[in-house]
Amino acid sequence: MAITKINNKAGEASKLKSWSEGKNWSGKLDISQSVSGVILALFLWTHLVLVSSILLGGDAMTWVAGVMELNFLSPDGHGYPWVVSLIAIGVAALALVHVVVAITKLPMNLRQQLALKKQMSVINHGDTKLWVWQALTGIAILFLLPVHLWLIGAAPETIGPAGSADRIWNDGVWLLYLPLLVCVELHAAIGVYRVAIKWGAARDINTRARMKRVKTVISVVFVLIGIASLLAFLPYA
Amino acid sequence: MKISAEFLGIRAPNPEIKPYALKGASVKLIYTDSLVVGAGLAGLRVAIASKERGLDTVVLSLIPAKRSHSAAAQGGMQASLGNTIKGMGDDEDVHFQDTVKGSDWGCDQDVARMFAHCAPKAVRELTNWGVPWTRVTKGPRQVVVNAEKVTIEEAEEAHGLINARDFGGTKKWRTCYTADGTGHSLLYAVDNKAISLGIPVHERVEALSIIHDGKRCQGVVARCLITGELRAYIAKSTTIATGGYGRIYEVSTNAIICEGIGQALALETGVAKLGNMEAVQFHPTAIVPVGILTTEGCRGDGGLLRDKDGHRFMPDYEPEKKELASRDVVSRRMTEHMRKGKGVDSPYGPHLWLDITLLGRKHVETNLREVKEICENFLGIDPAKDWIPVRPTQHYSMGGIRTDKTGQNPQLKGLFSVGEAACWDMHGFNRLGGNSLAETVVGGMIIGKYVADFCQENSLEIDTKLAESFVEKLGSEIDELIDGDGTESPFALRKEMERVMMDYVGIFRNGPELEKAVTELQALLKRSRNIGLKCKKRHANPELVEALRVKRMLKVALTVACGAAARTESRGAHAREDFPQRNDKDWLNRTLASWPDEHALSPELSYEQLDVMKMELPPGYRGYGINNAIAHPDTEKREHEITEILSQLGDDADRHQRQHALMPFEVPESLMPKNERLCDTLDRPTPPVVGEESVGEQAL
Amino acid sequence: MSQGRTLTFNIFRYDPQVSGDKPKMVKYQIEETPGMSVFIALNLLREQQDSSLQFDFVCRAGICGSCAMVINGFPTLACRTLTSKYPQGEITLMPLPGFELIGDLSVNTGKFMRELAERLKLWLHPDQDDVDVHRLEAPMAPEEAARLYELERCVECGVCVSACATKQMRETFVGAVGMMKLARFELDSRDTRSVEDFYHVIGNQDGVFGCMTLLGCQDNCPKDLPHMQQIAYLRRKMAVALV
Repeated sequence: MAITKINNKAGEASKLKSWSEGKNWSGKLDISQSVSGVILALFLWTHLVLVSSILLGGDAMTWVAGVMELNFLSPDGHGYPWVVSLIAIGVAALALVHVVVAITKLPMNLRQQLALKKQMSVINHGDTKLWVWQALTGIAILFLLPVHLWLIGAAPETIGPAGSADRIWNDGVWLLYLPLLVCVELHAAIGVYRVAIKWGAARDINTRARMKRVKTVISVVFVLIGIASLLAFLPYA
Repeated sequence: MKISAEFLGIRAPNPEIKPYALKGASVKLIYTDSLVVGAGLAGLRVAIASKERGLDTVVLSLIPAKRSHSAAAQGGMQASLGNTIKGMGDDEDVHFQDTVKGSDWGCDQDVARMFAHCAPKAVRELTNWGVPWTRVTKGPRQVVVNAEKVTIEEAEEAHGLINARDFGGTKKWRTCYTADGTGHSLLYAVDNKAISLGIPVHERVEALSIIHDGKRCQGVVARCLITGELRAYIAKSTTIATGGYGRIYEVSTNAIICEGIGQALALETGVAKLGNMEAVQFHPTAIVPVGILTTEGCRGDGGLLRDKDGHRFMPDYEPEKKELASRDVVSRRMTEHMRKGKGVDSPYGPHLWLDITLLGRKHVETNLREVKEICENFLGIDPAKDWIPVRPTQHYSMGGIRTDKTGQNPQLKGLFSVGEAACWDMHGFNRLGGNSLAETVVGGMIIGKYVADFCQENSLEIDTKLAESFVEKLGSEIDELIDGDGTESPFALRKEMERVMMDYVGIFRNGPELEKAVTELQALLKRSRNIGLKCKKRHANPELVEALRVKRMLKVALTVACGAAARTESRGAHAREDFPQRNDKDWLNRTLASWPDEHALSPELSYEQLDVMKMELPPGYRGYGINNAIAHPDTEKREHEITEILSQLGDDADRHQRQHALMPFEVPESLMPKNERLCDTLDRPTPPVVGEESVGEQAL
Repeated sequence: MSQGRTLTFNIFRYDPQVSGDKPKMVKYQIEETPGMSVFIALNLLREQQDSSLQFDFVCRAGICGSCAMVINGFPTLACRTLTSKYPQGEITLMPLPGFELIGDLSVNTGKFMRELAERLKLWLHPDQDDVDVHRLEAPMAPEEAARLYELERCVECGVCVSACATKQMRETFVGAVGMMKLARFELDSRDTRSVEDFYHVIGNQDGVFGCMTLLGCQDNCPKDLPHMQQIAYLRRKMAVALV
């Protein structure tokens, strides 16, 4: 009998080689996409909670901004605004990793785009539509986020009730922030939901349905908090 | 929605292949050693046996191999492993006896012996090919026997060995299974094995005639169902493994491809004979109306049959075996009961209830899940809570291409047949549940070796002229259908045939109705020579496929009807109301049907006697109803002879020696060794509780 | 029961072997009968209205996996889809996307599955090729056997392949059916392949690391196989192997 055996046949090695090409890369890339995505999402939510301190009043936000700039370490109590710049650079770096990997998964050529279009026109499937939303918001974020990071990273010392309000409402940056807010909140919640399932957090279909509901709630709640915060800056502008 | 070819990214099948249309086009010939027609379990198993000997092997199939009807066998396959406590004490002898009794003494006892001997080997071989047989769990286990929950205790030593469940007509729990997807698991494992060996399966190809010179089979002419191309496959051996002919009936549990084309291939040679075509089994529990099977495992696991009053009626008819009497018996009792007006009325005629609610939801959802899915999808009911509407439905074809013990047709050298397609004849006039799935892999295992032997001992006979003449003949048959001025619709003829078979050649048969069936089928056969097609395509054309088939199916149907009309007795599944007795004196024989004159309207019948003097188990009482068989004159003589032979052997002869003295049988050398069983290695004696006496329910 | 209703079928028609034929949707009307399935309806249409209509059925009982097609936007087995499921009485039938089209609703899933099996070596690789079939079989934990059967219930219908946008975009992606089967052999104690062996096959962009967890497989599988959990299991396993 001549069964080919994978584990102990030299002849198989060459065949397997084509399979193993780039094996470490694809695995590591996939993991890094998940990890960077989760960190970015956690940062995003924390960030929004911190910004929403404006809802508690200008003093609250000043205090938060101060803490973020590590003012408790500096003798003069003014802190180090460059810490915020560092954070911005860190976020940019993470986002870059995230984008580079994500881009390999998007339909890059016409054939792939046609295939996707055809499949979606024939087959009606919710999670695939979600993914398309995620991809579209991702692309939007790709353009919006650098602007935001540059604005903040370049002028970290202006963060505060008055400075931020000035930027948002007088400089018209709300035109950037509003779409960015909606995009990131959709993108992050869908992404975290997908990462959780991807690595096996949902043991059964019911868990998944619950997770999906939680995901939607998170998106909605954070978008509302974000809009409220933006509005809360109005009096300071 | 916008639709265009580019948008859909459609790739056409190989466009270079032109259908057989241009006259004078060269005929495509394909040569191989071992050609197998049909990629179900039996066919694949033979192909594997050939390939393992280094033979060039090609399999033809109407469909992808894993879609074959073998996959539909839910319940399991019989093999006397004797691992479960309810199977202890089981061996080849008991399996052999059950099989012979089940066949109503119509089977070939040599073949039944070969089969029973090799069944455990096949099960063990399949384990190594990946079948996840359901295993025994040691300790106490609750089962339902005779509508009562009973606790049985599995042996410590049996833990992890292959389990078995109860099936109708068997003395022991002998049916090995994987939940309720045994056929599926087996087919997938065997096809995977075939893939690992690189055996090519030519999918969507239909064999339509056998190339032969009246003595030697040289291959087949086949039509590609996609391109319409006609090809001649030339081979040393041709094995027909195309399954049964259930679809000549209107309602059948069979897949829609079980149309008897394999039998028709042999029949149309005019030389090869078909055996026992009138032996058609009806399964007691197919759902109403669509005729999809619910496994015998339902009753084996403790399910009950109830009538319109909710009354469990089987004990009234068969007080001993009740629901687990042989299939033919249960089917007839159900029909009898419905004729008494006890059936539940429905728009599709009366039916009865199958009740598996007492098995509990957990059991239904794990061990009978296919059944549950079928109930949900086709009936919209929950079988853990609702009763299932069932009635007897055509299920299995005991008859088929007559072969000798090696699987070869006695009339055409090089033509083999295996599985349901064949009349190897281990089932006689009734097949036991779990013996069909077993026949595919056991028969395939044995016959595969004989096929390989044949291929090694014989050379390829190539007569291209002969092959071309058969291709041309099929070509002109197709031309006639497409370009001719026929007017009959193949679909209409088919419907008529199905109705005739259903109405007149069913569970209960009688002379006048069978005569009517023959006359009507002959009229249909005549009309089938005047078919005209609406769809004129020569490539993928469902109407052409139907036309080619219905012409052949009508001949097969006629062998069934004529055989049934001629057999004036009742045996196994063949139940004549006008001749209710089994008549061993005149009818202990096998019906052979051939079709020497292709223009004739009926087959030529002849008979092959079964030799009582060579039987290990002479005809006796089968254990159902009244014992009214008319005895064969040799029966008593043979019984005396057996007693004498056994007494001469002395008391120290073991069961193998005793068996050998009565009826020596042969299987290929590598399959000769005895089967080891758990009870051989257990140092404590087999528990006495499992004997036939103590568990009356299981005793025959 | 919805008896006497007239159903409207919109059926994709195209014969790629007829030169000049263009894909189109054709409307057919048929009287509904009690308990009618798409299988019954299609056969009636072929017998009564258009004998050239191509489609595939074999077991017609949801067991063989031949008849998967897209019904009103959902890929599923046509034989066990009852027409009563559609209160509007409008049923649109499309062939499964992503497979070679034979004609109309018939696609070549068999060829696809065979090639996949050869490529991924989807068969048991046991310890020894020849086992002594005359001797007592080796025991296996009953739980393991049950677990294996759970994963073995795949009928190769192709639904997961057509429902997977990833697979549609990337032809070399193994898809859920491939991963499900590999997971089945990976779990089988009789299979001698190591984690590394499986890693070679699916520890890459064409395997678990290319899957974007769109879950079209999970949501459409007619056998309700646990694609979501199994692919996640394989991914974790492969990720651990990587580390």
